[in-house]
Amino acid sequence: MSKTVLTIDDSPSIRRMIVMTLEEAGYKVIEAVDGQDGLNKALANPVDAVITDQNMPNLDGLGFIRALRQHPSGKGVPIVVLSTDSEDTLKTQAREAGALGWMVKPFTQDKLLAVIRKVLG
Amino acid sequence: MSDEMSAIFREELRDLLESLEKGLLDLKSRPTDMGLVNQVFRDLHTVKGSGAMFGFTDLAAFIHEFETVFDRIRAGVLPVGPEILRLALAAKDEIPGLVDNEPDPDGRRDGILAALVGLMNPGQPPAASAEAGAQANGQGPAPDLPAAPSGPSHLRFRLSSGAFAMGARPEILLDELRGLGATEITADLTELPSLDRLDVEDCWLGWSMSLPAEISAQQLEEVFMFVDADWSLVPAEPAAPAPSGDAVAETAVTLHAPPAADTAPPPAAAAPPGAPAREKPADAAGATVRVPAERLDALMDAVGELVILEARLTELARENRDPALITTAEQITRLAAGLRDATMTMRMVPIRSLVARFRRLVLDLSDKLGKPVEFSVIGEDTKLDKTVIEKLADPLVHILRNAIDHGMETQEQRAETAKAHVGLIELSAEHAGAEVLIRVRDDGRGMDPARIRAKAVAQGLISADTILTESQIFALVFEPGFSTAEKVTELSGRGVGMDVVRRTIESLRGSLEIESKMGHGTTVTLRLPLTLAIIEGLLIEVAGERYTLPMASVQEIVELPADKAQPKKSGDFLDIRGRFVPFLRMRAMFDCAGQPGPEQNVVIVMSGENRVGLVVDRIVGTNQTVIKQMSKLHAGVRAVSGATILGDGSVALILDVAHLVGMGRSQQEPQGREVAA
Amino acid sequence: MRLQDIKRDRTVTVVTMALGAQTLAIPAPLLREILDPLPVTRVPGAGPHVPGVVNVRGSVVPLADLKHVLSITNEGHDERRRILVLEITLGGEAAVVAISADAVHEVTTVETHLIEPVPTTAQAWPPDYLTGLYRGASGFVLLPNLEMIFANLANQL
Repeated sequence: MSKTVLTIDDSPSIRRMIVMTLEEAGYKVIEAVDGQDGLNKALANPVDAVITDQNMPNLDGLGFIRALRQHPSGKGVPIVVLSTDSEDTLKTQAREAGALGWMVKPFTQDKLLAVIRKVLG
Repeated sequence: MSDEMSAIFREELRDLLESLEKGLLDLKSRPTDMGLVNQVFRDLHTVKGSGAMFGFTDLAAFIHEFETVFDRIRAGVLPVGPEILRLALAAKDEIPGLVDNEPDPDGRRDGILAALVGLMNPGQPPAASAEAGAQANGQGPAPDLPAAPSGPSHLRFRLSSGAFAMGARPEILLDELRGLGATEITADLTELPSLDRLDVEDCWLGWSMSLPAEISAQQLEEVFMFVDADWSLVPAEPAAPAPSGDAVAETAVTLHAPPAADTAPPPAAAAPPGAPAREKPADAAGATVRVPAERLDALMDAVGELVILEARLTELARENRDPALITTAEQITRLAAGLRDATMTMRMVPIRSLVARFRRLVLDLSDKLGKPVEFSVIGEDTKLDKTVIEKLADPLVHILRNAIDHGMETQEQRAETAKAHVGLIELSAEHAGAEVLIRVRDDGRGMDPARIRAKAVAQGLISADTILTESQIFALVFEPGFSTAEKVTELSGRGVGMDVVRRTIESLRGSLEIESKMGHGTTVTLRLPLTLAIIEGLLIEVAGERYTLPMASVQEIVELPADKAQPKKSGDFLDIRGRFVPFLRMRAMFDCAGQPGPEQNVVIVMSGENRVGLVVDRIVGTNQTVIKQMSKLHAGVRAVSGATILGDGSVALILDVAHLVGMGRSQQEPQGREVAA
Repeated sequence: MRLQDIKRDRTVTVVTMALGAQTLAIPAPLLREILDPLPVTRVPGAGPHVPGVVNVRGSVVPLADLKHVLSITNEGHDERRRILVLEITLGGEAAVVAISADAVHEVTTVETHLIEPVPTTAQAWPPDYLTGLYRGASGFVLLPNLEMIFANLANQL
């Protein structure tokens, strides 16, 4: 079984880049356009890891993480937060909300793969 | 970043700019609408983030101040005013130029930025813009650490109790540390509560190890980026013994392998005190294996050989009438069929892999020609054999180019019609039986049959009195040497023509047709076989030679009525359930000597839109046909698309129905310049 | 293969074969194998030069009739008929082709200084199709220019 990664981002091109990169590497990728969509999809599908943006309409990344961690099935799923913000506040907030780590945009395909391998093995 | 990616970004950017402009214009009338402010901020934020992702660093730098202004507005620090909106719209207009790397000799962009910064800091000189686009590289400040030691250092870390709930995987971490050269890895189980108090979701583990001196804190920062852990790195004294006297060592267990593979393990199971750690092979390969394309080809070849040998075995078994051998042969037949299907499935690739470059192409052409076009793709997940996909790229590029260059009206021409301002190009792919249909549809001006006809007459492709149906006229554009482009544009009308497109598609055993309606648009449909390697074939015999017809084109088989057994002067037709079906005598077409037997069969095939009968001596049966390419020496024999090896080792040619019918027709009417049906 | 290319080496190893009354020499490096007659599948519409295909160990290989190509009259015996499988360069790619021989005589080494250009006058063969000739034990032996012959055959269709 290939591992499934959920990518949540309101930018189609970033989603596309993530999908292309991860599918190339043999992962299955589910896309969601915002935190709310992501939450629905994370709860409806078995997901092995989540990569989420922070700034999104409807529900932002932190909101998504907090909501997901409250669900029994959302425990133990590694979540990586993407953001253009490099401030420590977001990182700390994300950790507190239950994110495993973060990745700062812009990132390369290699970096993305390295991060996903780090998270999923 | 690849061109495909940046094409996707450009596409997204257009939508973002549209939304941004709308947001800014709406803010003019509703300056206090925070929803609008948030939307504008998000649009800018996405433009910046995605732009930086896809290599548009100048763009990202430019957006930064712009975004900051709206962040301030969002925070309530700055009110929305007409000056801000004016500058914002001016800044927005600069974005396309930035993306296209247009120079800014007058310093217009800097001026806008300075004015924006000025709005945020009234009375202060604009901030240095060097800082504007700075994208820090994701590293928080490293914990305070001593300077790099000279001897091996000692690392100790402990996961936070919630680490497992957050998805931390200590075994991955340990693997990574081992990759950095960590030795003497020992688990620290001192915090582990007794079993009755243990919540398996909590983590109580720590580890300690020796690391080579050259491993820096920065490298460890990378390692620990995805683990909530307290860690410390201390240089060990070169001569000092391993820390044996402290609490860690007393309960330490040396780990030889990751404690578990798939899920975060309950700590107790991972390393029971006193017992040796379980050796477990690392789950490194995962479930997906990437295989070089050549190996798939080699596998397919081997399966092809197997299918041929299996046919041979079945034939031998029948000849020998040995029940045991027949049973074995049947089992092998089933296995070979399963192996064949599995192999063919492996070779299937979604058409999606082609689409990204088309998006870029359409976008570029649309920009270059000033014809706004929306490109929509339906059925991206439709799969085809990888060889077909590879060869499909060039023909589709050509067809798409034609659609925009010739098919689409100019913006002005379009404005005179009732059509939408933006043209539509739609690429769709779907399965239809053993075929895949790929359509390129545009809503442009459509093709003018009269003009094509006149051109074909002028170029000597047809004579002035040739009677052709509309679809036959459209098919003329696939003839070599045909071009209606009145002027050779930079994009099409030179180099490869539609005849090359047709040849490529036919080499894939596919066909193509054009439907068009003046003023409404054109649709080019490609029909392609699912796979190139093995097809279901109908084996027939003509004058002692056996041939294979692709089952996909066979419709039915009837007996040739006795009164039609001999050729007549007038056209040969069969009455099949009240419909006249023309037929061709294969013996005559293939110039065979001798007379056919008393009972001949007619195979009714589909050639384009027409049903045509092929008179054969005998139907041998159906078979799995492993396609072998014909050599270049026979490339001109277009009625033959390939060859296959039969169970008795002889070669049977695979017939190309469309060309066979075309050939038969031109033989019947040597005078007329027949357009292949 | 041009004459000057052959003459670069002191000797050339060839396989001699009969087509009608004529003897031909095929450079040994081109030869993959010599087979007993195989069932030939006719390719309708392919013309007399490459009239059919044969199954050589699972590959479908075109079978050329050099007698037709070189306008050699059919006077030979059929009893010792063989098929020579050759690997040549065709359109820049390696290609396997087969030719029929009425008989295969021997593998022999020819000193290249003995090979002469084909006289340009009074000959029945297309000049491009022959690299040269030499005097053998029983008359002239022709060296066909196989690359040129097959390149032309590929273009004819």
